[in-house]
Amino acid sequence: MESKKLKKITAVWIIVVLTLFVISIVLGILMRLNQGGVLHHAPITFYSNMTIHGITMIGIWFVAGMAGINYLMERYVKTSYSANLIALILTVIGVLMLWAVTLIGKFHTAWTFLYPLPLRVMWAQWATPVFLVAMSILTTGWLIWGISMMTQVLKKYSIPQAFAWQHFKKDPAVKTPPFILISMITLVGVVTCLLVAVVLMALYFAEYFSKGSFVNDALLMKNLTYFFGHTIANEMLYLGLAVIYELFSEVGEKPKWKTTWYVALAWNFTLIFILTAFLHHLYMDFVQPEGFQIVGQIASYMASLPAAAVTVFSVWVAVYRIKIKWTLTNLLFFIGVAGWVIGGFGAVIDATISNNIVLHNTQWVPAHFHTYNILGNVLFSLGFFYWFSIQFTDKVVSEKFSKLILSLLIIGGAGFLLAFYIGGADSIPRRFSNYPAEFTTAKPLANIGAAFATIYLIPILILFYNISKRCLKILFPSS
Amino acid sequence: MQQSSILLLFFFLMGIALIVFTYIYLSSKKADQGMSNPLKKRFWFFLILTIIMGIFASVTIPKSPYFAFADKTPAKVIHVAAIQFAFFLSEKAIDREKPSGQQIELPVNEVIEFRVTSFDVNHGFAIYDESNRLITQTQAMPGYVNRLRYKFEEPGKYNVLCLEYCGVAHQLMRTSFVVK
Amino acid sequence: MLKNIVSLLLIFSFCNFTDAQTTSAALKEETNIYERVYDAPLQVVGQQSATFDELYAQRPVILALIFTRCTGICNPFLVKLKETLQFKDGDNSFRVLVLSFDPRDNMNDMHRLAQNLGLDGNEQWAFAITENISELTQSVSFDPVWDSARQQFDHDALLVGINKEGYITKKLIGLRERGDLDLLIGSINNVFVPTYRLPNQNMLFSCFNYDPVTGKNKPGLGLIFLALPAVLTASLLISISLLVRRSRRRKVHLN
Repeated sequence: MESKKLKKITAVWIIVVLTLFVISIVLGILMRLNQGGVLHHAPITFYSNMTIHGITMIGIWFVAGMAGINYLMERYVKTSYSANLIALILTVIGVLMLWAVTLIGKFHTAWTFLYPLPLRVMWAQWATPVFLVAMSILTTGWLIWGISMMTQVLKKYSIPQAFAWQHFKKDPAVKTPPFILISMITLVGVVTCLLVAVVLMALYFAEYFSKGSFVNDALLMKNLTYFFGHTIANEMLYLGLAVIYELFSEVGEKPKWKTTWYVALAWNFTLIFILTAFLHHLYMDFVQPEGFQIVGQIASYMASLPAAAVTVFSVWVAVYRIKIKWTLTNLLFFIGVAGWVIGGFGAVIDATISNNIVLHNTQWVPAHFHTYNILGNVLFSLGFFYWFSIQFTDKVVSEKFSKLILSLLIIGGAGFLLAFYIGGADSIPRRFSNYPAEFTTAKPLANIGAAFATIYLIPILILFYNISKRCLKILFPSS
Repeated sequence: MQQSSILLLFFFLMGIALIVFTYIYLSSKKADQGMSNPLKKRFWFFLILTIIMGIFASVTIPKSPYFAFADKTPAKVIHVAAIQFAFFLSEKAIDREKPSGQQIELPVNEVIEFRVTSFDVNHGFAIYDESNRLITQTQAMPGYVNRLRYKFEEPGKYNVLCLEYCGVAHQLMRTSFVVK
Repeated sequence: MLKNIVSLLLIFSFCNFTDAQTTSAALKEETNIYERVYDAPLQVVGQQSATFDELYAQRPVILALIFTRCTGICNPFLVKLKETLQFKDGDNSFRVLVLSFDPRDNMNDMHRLAQNLGLDGNEQWAFAITENISELTQSVSFDPVWDSARQQFDHDALLVGINKEGYITKKLIGLRERGDLDLLIGSINNVFVPTYRLPNQNMLFSCFNYDPVTGKNKPGLGLIFLALPAVLTASLLISISLLVRRSRRRKVHLN
């Protein structure tokens, strides 16, 4: 059963994530307004904002997913409060350092910090080493957390059981809950990509301290960077899915989902695809061996099969012609799955090499990953946050109010994203602070994007207020 | 035009997803009998999806750009060196110590080879036609040379933009050449 | 601690050093690519006179420019080339044309050179002179400078790859190893490689090294860094599972 300490720390995570989310959205809106010509920031300001916006968004939704599975995992195994707390402290420290590095130091490598950009110091001298240290701190905290949760699962389930291999036989004696299976698969991916980050940081530090006598291979560094970056962004989606497998039926007051042989099969295969799909980020690097490029396309394509045939179909089976008790929680989950699927279309299209040659680094890229997030993964986590917050407090959000929130999320999100998709089809480059005059649709699309993002922000602010208030009550019950 | 087809395909797929999800949601307000034969339906769904993906993969993978015009002899080789924040285009190799470029004129309907590298950070070498449509690209990676072959079928002025974020003046980095 | 790690990394990385080259050599190698070599009339030792195009149309050519009165690079250059190519005996995907750029060299000089190298009558090697040497050297940007003090030409040790259509596909300057020669032979046989690495003295870890013989990429040390995290995670998983086995047994027992 969940302890008081776990409840409180989860409440803290939620408040931290939502606060940073609101600030990052505002930064994002400012960026789009700059691109639209409404604001006139210096490029260095735009790019520093862009850097911290990206880092923060990935960071917060990753920890949101981890906090979610940590909380729910307590239903099955005892989790370590210390590991959770260490991760929280180190995350806050790391994030604060990164904010200082970008907003004060004007570090502006973009969140992908592609080698050798961090070492070409065009910002405060201290920013590069502090950036590397901050990333190392985050990596350390998250590794401790991930390995700790893996350990706790393994204390109850053997490796074959954690991976649900016994479900390939009929009527297994030990049943692995879907939540445990998915958490385990995802944690393996998380720990792997964090270890990649360790290797990456080691190589960066080696070159930084060698003062020129040791130079890294740009291709190796790019492979490592995207192995880490793509995988962590993908895993945060799957952390959200673990929550859905656990809560979707419960919230709708329906029987709990069970692990079957195809659920076990799908998720085991997913691990392989997750760890190889990152290669699709290097399609335009002709230096990469062709075999790797093809593996990238095939893995990216195949990753969608278990996702669609198992998870998405299971959600359909759980809803189709079944009188579900719809609440804000499971509606957020349901819409999130739809958003994830649509983002997946954009992704698979771009993961096709012959398309990538005209889509790579255009706005199609932020189009698809923002879809995965703002109408996918974010909704998964918001669903969990809301559900958590109403467990221990009363006064749920009214149905009418829920409808308003969801409508604004969908309208705001859709408009914001469509501006990006159309921009991508118009060959408008991504990561430009201002657009060359010949891209006549660029500025209007940017302003439309900003307007719709503001619409999206409204329900976020409402949820922020609503959920944080409840979480504060959980933290300080007497007041 | 490739980008239009891509956008149309995306809207089509998005439309299907929206219809399916809305239909399923609305169905949950009706009778409480659930989906009949879900395992069978799941299997067919998986099979159809796999076949569609398989077709897309087998059609698109051979169209990958890496060996475009591999068996042809290029009419011209253009060396490209990218730096923060400019491109050098030259018919001669580019000296890292004293980089210099020249106005480039290319013959129409001939295979051209671009040899692209970077002297500092990763850049992108992206060619746009006169209607501002991205027609081809490759990355400029320090320490490596990427060979991009292309045949320009339309005469005119082509712009080159940097498409890999490279720092504070990334949006200003551009050059152009003429095809006659 | 960090210095120890860096030293360990350095020790493991010695195999990936590429040939240190001056920037100017790399630069000169990138001139005249896909331009046509001048079709000079050749007088070939032991054969009938022919034009250059008759020679390369038969088999793609590796052109080596030397002079017989050379007291510098020419001899070691040719000896090294012969040694490196000895494994390609009987390989008819190329022919080496040793051409003198010195107007003083005649057929006897070239014949003697062939004999001294033990290559007289070797089917893969042709030794020749031409009257139109300046047009030919101009077409490959070869620019020997006469040093009157030493009475010697100052020049690059240049190899030019020419394919069957007479296009210059690749140039190599200096004494080169087998890998580079294989790349040269590949290029004159129109094997297309979409990329190549620039010489860099300090780069230690790379993912792949292209092997022109097989036309495939050989794994480099850097690949270990890509594979290591997954291997480590798997090991971690197994180790943790073994370590907590007792507490797992206890739980099952209690239940």
